[in-house]
Amino acid sequence: MAKKNQSSSGLAGTLKRWFLRFWKGGANALADEMEASKDDMSVEDIVSPMQQVVRNFLDRKLAVGALIVLIAMFLTMFIGPMFMPKYYDAYTEVTQKSIAPTMSMMKVPKELAKDVKMIDGYGSFSVGLSNAGKVYVWGSTQIGTTGVDVGDIPEDVQNANIVMVAAGIDHIIAIDDKGIVHAWGNNRLGQYTTLAEVEAKGEDINPNIAYMPEELVTTGIDVNNIKKLTCGYQCTAILMNDGTFYLWGNKLAYANIDLFLNAGTMYDLDFTLNYIVGINGKRNSIYTGSRGLYDVVRTEVGGSTYKIKDYLDDRKIESITAANNSMCLLLDDGSVCFAGDYAGNLTPAPVLSADEDFVQIVAGSYHYSGLTNKGNIYSWGSNTLNQTEVPKKYDGATKLYNGAFQTYAVNEEDDVVAKWGLKGYLFGTDTAGADIFQRIINGGKMTMTIGAVAVIISSVIGIIIGCISGYFGGKVDILLMRIAEIFNAIPFIPFAMILSAIMGRMTLSEDMRIFIIMCILGVLTWPGLARLVRGQVLVARESEYVTAAKALGVKEYTIAFKHILPNVMSVILVNLVLNFGTCMLTESSLSYLGFGVTYPRPTWGNMLNGANNATIINAYWWQWVFTAAFLAITCICINIVGDNLRDAMDPKANSSR
Amino acid sequence: MAKYVVKRIAYMLVVLVILSVIMFMIYSLVPSNRAYTDASNEIKSLKNVLPKDKIDEKFDELYLMYQRRYGTDTDSKIIRYLRWVGVYPLYDGSYNGLLQGNFGYSYEYQKPVLEVIKNPMINTIKLNIWATILGLGITIPLGIVCAVKRGGKLDQTMSIVTILGYSLPTFVISILFIWIFCSKLNIFPPSGMKTPGSNYTGFRQFLDEMYYMALPLLVMTFSSLGGMTRYVRASMTDALSMDCIRTARAKGLREKTVIYSHAFRNALIPIVSLVVGWFLGIFGGSLVVESMFAWNGMGRLMITSLRTADYEVVLLMQMFYVAMSLVGNLVIDIVYGIVDPRVRVDN
Repeated sequence: MAKKNQSSSGLAGTLKRWFLRFWKGGANALADEMEASKDDMSVEDIVSPMQQVVRNFLDRKLAVGALIVLIAMFLTMFIGPMFMPKYYDAYTEVTQKSIAPTMSMMKVPKELAKDVKMIDGYGSFSVGLSNAGKVYVWGSTQIGTTGVDVGDIPEDVQNANIVMVAAGIDHIIAIDDKGIVHAWGNNRLGQYTTLAEVEAKGEDINPNIAYMPEELVTTGIDVNNIKKLTCGYQCTAILMNDGTFYLWGNKLAYANIDLFLNAGTMYDLDFTLNYIVGINGKRNSIYTGSRGLYDVVRTEVGGSTYKIKDYLDDRKIESITAANNSMCLLLDDGSVCFAGDYAGNLTPAPVLSADEDFVQIVAGSYHYSGLTNKGNIYSWGSNTLNQTEVPKKYDGATKLYNGAFQTYAVNEEDDVVAKWGLKGYLFGTDTAGADIFQRIINGGKMTMTIGAVAVIISSVIGIIIGCISGYFGGKVDILLMRIAEIFNAIPFIPFAMILSAIMGRMTLSEDMRIFIIMCILGVLTWPGLARLVRGQVLVARESEYVTAAKALGVKEYTIAFKHILPNVMSVILVNLVLNFGTCMLTESSLSYLGFGVTYPRPTWGNMLNGANNATIINAYWWQWVFTAAFLAITCICINIVGDNLRDAMDPKANSSR
Repeated sequence: MAKYVVKRIAYMLVVLVILSVIMFMIYSLVPSNRAYTDASNEIKSLKNVLPKDKIDEKFDELYLMYQRRYGTDTDSKIIRYLRWVGVYPLYDGSYNGLLQGNFGYSYEYQKPVLEVIKNPMINTIKLNIWATILGLGITIPLGIVCAVKRGGKLDQTMSIVTILGYSLPTFVISILFIWIFCSKLNIFPPSGMKTPGSNYTGFRQFLDEMYYMALPLLVMTFSSLGGMTRYVRASMTDALSMDCIRTARAKGLREKTVIYSHAFRNALIPIVSLVVGWFLGIFGGSLVVESMFAWNGMGRLMITSLRTADYEVVLLMQMFYVAMSLVGNLVIDIVYGIVDPRVRVDN
């Protein structure tokens, strides 16, 4: 109070007082002053017990901090999913498995951004080439547990003048000005092995590998005659202007390699995820080696289909651009059509006006971007990773390049003017290729919901039984406490596991299963609280206010639930908080062991499921560090809040302060 | 006292029976038909021997035989339960249930359940004895020191460590420790029970076993550290604030005598009950730690049996756990009465 008087006595204080009086009238201020001077004389404020608890709690800095973190966690988990409309549980992406946390997937190196010759990407990284012949690699360059880093560009590539690059899922191919083909990255599945190398090492010839032609690395090819260099999953093709092509790589990834190697010449070719697709000399059908695979086309990504021959009429296919499961054909009249499989929820392809034609189409894994003769850029296809969100500004773009989930627009001066698509993954991806950050948020919602519902169930049962048992005593008490003991004798986790395993054998929907898990958790944890409430009620029952209520003729149930219950509320509240933590932990343990919520539904427990051997724990550290941290922080905060709440409510603790 | 114990044991048996009914009923929800499987397996081997028209007939005959042998030739679950316990006769008038020493038959291992459980049980006990010794050996002194020097540096550090210990689920601690000790420091093997292919004997074998046991032990100790230290600290704090302690100090006793002779004895009372409960846990085994470190114990057996739907093993283990926890409660109550003369259990 003294402080307040000081500040009001200065000039500023007087001015402030005048100002306040002017606006609010003098009466309030005067009343406040009188109140304040009265306070000075009184010894201490009288506060209600609840206020005292809140004050005690707020005095503890650690507890307040923990509470804030906890509330923030709650809000993130329950509001966060609303900002992720594209998220769904079963999302998998084979080309994005186990990617380390990175946000650099679209970060074109500064030197390159002003001098782009070409950019390519297929998996988690992109490779770029400057006009000066220098190669740049960005994105997530570590390849799984192989220890291969495609970011380590070999010395001979750095010294050579490269004219063309392309990236596969785990390897990079570059051609220098002498026509020599360089390659680096993972080579375990024949991505760039020549037969001579195999013989030199004395290894057996692998029938599942189409070996790289010898002349590419020794004599080189005619650089000026190369029409296209393109990489697939673990496969590479170089197409020459005369239609001949070189093709090598993993036959298990592309079963139709042999058919292509025997097919002679091609006008154009590209890789989907499973097939090599080509346009032969007639330019009127899609060649895959097997009949009828892609013999229908559509004008729209989700539209109805036409037979390719009828649709083309007399038009010719100018180029083929393949995404993972589909392809886009650019016809010689500048229109496009589509073949292959399309998922739902796609951004539709644009409808161009009569005088606007596509001049270039590029394809990522699931999206296409097209540049028209009017300089407009359109993106369509899947938008799950923001691939089709074309920025408004891309003035003067004359050329498009693509990564797996990115598109780069480059202008006349070879500057990158716009880029859009996947920036990266804040917490990396899991073994299915899903964004761990999104799964943590959505999994947290699930974990917390299960914990909360279980606690509510257990508390309701515990409070009712505890109150009845404590208040009525006698036979009711004995019976209820015996029941509680039976429940207490059930070993918790094994029993929950058994129930959950048995449920797995029955045909139940996932939601039903989760609900039952909540119930199991709730029903098995009530005895502790029931006993606690019973003990408290036993004490309260003998107190004077209950005797008074009885004397007034208040009904027994009213006494039990309206007079006694509020007085044991503090114990219940503390227990609620601590039980919530326990239930979350139990659910996590169950899910971790595979007996709770199961994949694809995420919870913090089952997201850690994969981290069960030393190799994965070390190599894919991001797959458990973040999830475990979220789980740990939440549980620690819950326990700190609960403990401090108990201390704050304990009158003994108050007096000692 | 004797009367109380008898009463408690009688009551315990009632609870055991009730729980066994509940368990059995839950298991009978599982859609499995052992008689059918056995009969169809046998009929397969007879397919080439018997003429075609006889096969169905023979199958029905076999099916009925197996049903009678397993006691499933009735739809009544109550009769099945009574047969499982061994108080209701099978078709041929004989009794063959738990009471007769038939603890079930593991389908996965093709062995009686008791034989299946034997080895894991030994492994679990081996691991848990060490865990208990380590756990108690660390937590009790630590709790005492924290209580005596309350608010000191050690106490503050320990209060953080203990919160970690009981807030982190065991599997997170396991993952963390494997990462630190196996991947980064490369000190301990990440899983297993002995060096593969080794045939050590004597002391060498013991050392090898300890080497593989070290990490699971560490995890178990760390995760038990939290709860137990707090418990010891709290009961020691209570004991130290008792009037007798003030008297002892006023008498001029040495501080060591006060703490270890006067305060600790009083603090011991609640601790003893916990320790007894802990010893009984030796047989149970830890589900998470054992499955994480590929330790072939009870917990791991439980999980593999659940995964392979070997329900007779699971059912027996579950009954064993229930019996353990009931006996545990009883022993705790009795020990409490013995340790603390103020508590009269027969009242």
